[in-house]
Amino acid sequence: MSISKDGAVENARKDLAKRLEIDAADVKERSVEDSDFPDMSLGAAEDGEMSGQMITPGWRIRLEAQGQTFEYRADKNQVRAYKFKGKNYRI
Amino acid sequence: MNRNNIFIHVALALVLILVAAFAGQLNRWRKEWKSHVRIVPAAEKKQATTADEIALSETRYFSHPEVLVKFKSGVSRERIEALTSRLNDRIEDRIENAAGWKSIDDLDNADAAAIVAEYAQLPEVEFAEPNFEIKLPDAIEGPLVPILPRDPQFNDQWALANSGQRGGKEGADISATLAWATTTGSEDVVVAVLDSGVDYTHEDLAQNMWVRPSDMDPYQDNELGTIDDLNGYNAIDNTSDPMDENGHGTHCAGIIGAEGENDLGIAGVNWKVRIMPLKFMNAGGFGTTKDAIEAINYVIDRKKAGVNVRIISASWGSTQRSRALEDVIRTAYENDILFVAAAGNASTNNDRAPHFPSSYNVPNVISVAALDRNDELAKFSNYGSKSVAIAAPGVEILSTWLANQYEEKSGTSMATPVIAGVAALIVAENPRMSVDDLRKRLMASTDPIVALKGKTTSGGRISAAKALE
Repeated sequence: MSISKDGAVENARKDLAKRLEIDAADVKERSVEDSDFPDMSLGAAEDGEMSGQMITPGWRIRLEAQGQTFEYRADKNQVRAYKFKGKNYRI
Repeated sequence: MNRNNIFIHVALALVLILVAAFAGQLNRWRKEWKSHVRIVPAAEKKQATTADEIALSETRYFSHPEVLVKFKSGVSRERIEALTSRLNDRIEDRIENAAGWKSIDDLDNADAAAIVAEYAQLPEVEFAEPNFEIKLPDAIEGPLVPILPRDPQFNDQWALANSGQRGGKEGADISATLAWATTTGSEDVVVAVLDSGVDYTHEDLAQNMWVRPSDMDPYQDNELGTIDDLNGYNAIDNTSDPMDENGHGTHCAGIIGAEGENDLGIAGVNWKVRIMPLKFMNAGGFGTTKDAIEAINYVIDRKKAGVNVRIISASWGSTQRSRALEDVIRTAYENDILFVAAAGNASTNNDRAPHFPSSYNVPNVISVAALDRNDELAKFSNYGSKSVAIAAPGVEILSTWLANQYEEKSGTSMATPVIAGVAALIVAENPRMSVDDLRKRLMASTDPIVALKGKTTSGGRISAAKALE
């Protein structure tokens, strides 16, 4: 099923809240911008993952919580946490 | 004897000598004629009964087999002989390495099309075709004449023929139209597209898809058992269906081998080829190293089983090194299979920050960077004078997409199948070329590009025309 921009932001907020063990209401949306990512894992490949090397349009989502900024990347197929504590996660 | 009689006798003698000499020559001419050409009425040939007469008859009618017939598997030799005998034909030969095919000599000297029709209607026959006479082409003098396909969107395929459309640089292409004067590909060459699968029903691809031959056993995996790989292999689900759910693999397949001259969409680098679809990436366009290995193992297995798969096109990767993946690519090398890999899209130097599988130091790996329509290195493309071998067009590339659609996409993913496609053209012209020589040929077949100096090993853009010189 195709993911919308708003749906991607909502999924990212919930994921970050879960990872930080805080309430989703405490996660603020800082920015959402259209972006071309270098590959089909949105430049955020998990360990052991290979992806198509095609420029992929999507959204760069920046969220704020506990005084820090966290980046998520999304397109119509997926949402990914980018370098959360040094690692990428597909959610 | 008076002088007049002497003259008469001498003249008569000369006439007799000339007559005898002429008769002798006539006889020699007649013998020569007989030894070369024998035209015998049909009624006479059916009267040949003795061994000598049959031998003579065979001599008379032995010219070249007239039709090639493929009998269905399971039809016995005795049954085939009975059928050909009933039609007053003769099996000329079994065709080596083409199971089921027989060469048939028609003893009635009938029209080849009529004989083909006669055999085609037999329930025992799978296919019949005329034995076309193949002539060596006349010596080509002067430059090759470009061949332009009539596919309606060909004008948008700047990678194949850049006329400066949409602000591009004229001639910044792979010289495909000149290459096509030599060959447009071959159905005998199989290219494995290791990707998100391929929409094998796409109308511009369907005719060029590989299908497991009916006389080849289904794929046997030690752990998974039997997989009926009629249309290829799906390593994600370990099933027989490699249908693309993303579009990326279908796009790459079209670059290699969208059918040419079919009045539809685009033309591939190869108008004719066989694309073996392999699926290891999902609907999102990503997959696991383990599934990539499974799919490469499948290719190697099919090669060993007799499929002429000579090239793997790999438009994917990551920065994570896998020894297991490297090992299976090396095994592909040992089985004479070229591995064409995308250099990556991070705008980084692979000499310093490697990208895999393109950076594996295995002799069959050829790493591909992307160029735009102005012969500039694409702003996203990785590079590396030691680790990136060659470049090909990879920006705004039009190709096939899901559901009979066409889309423009960019990436070293798109440059990779261009190189795989040119490799397939080379193999079409040089079927016995080794993987080492194939890679060398590609590396020696570039047009130097200023923007690539110090960025790739070859420093050039692939030229399909040079590759076929």
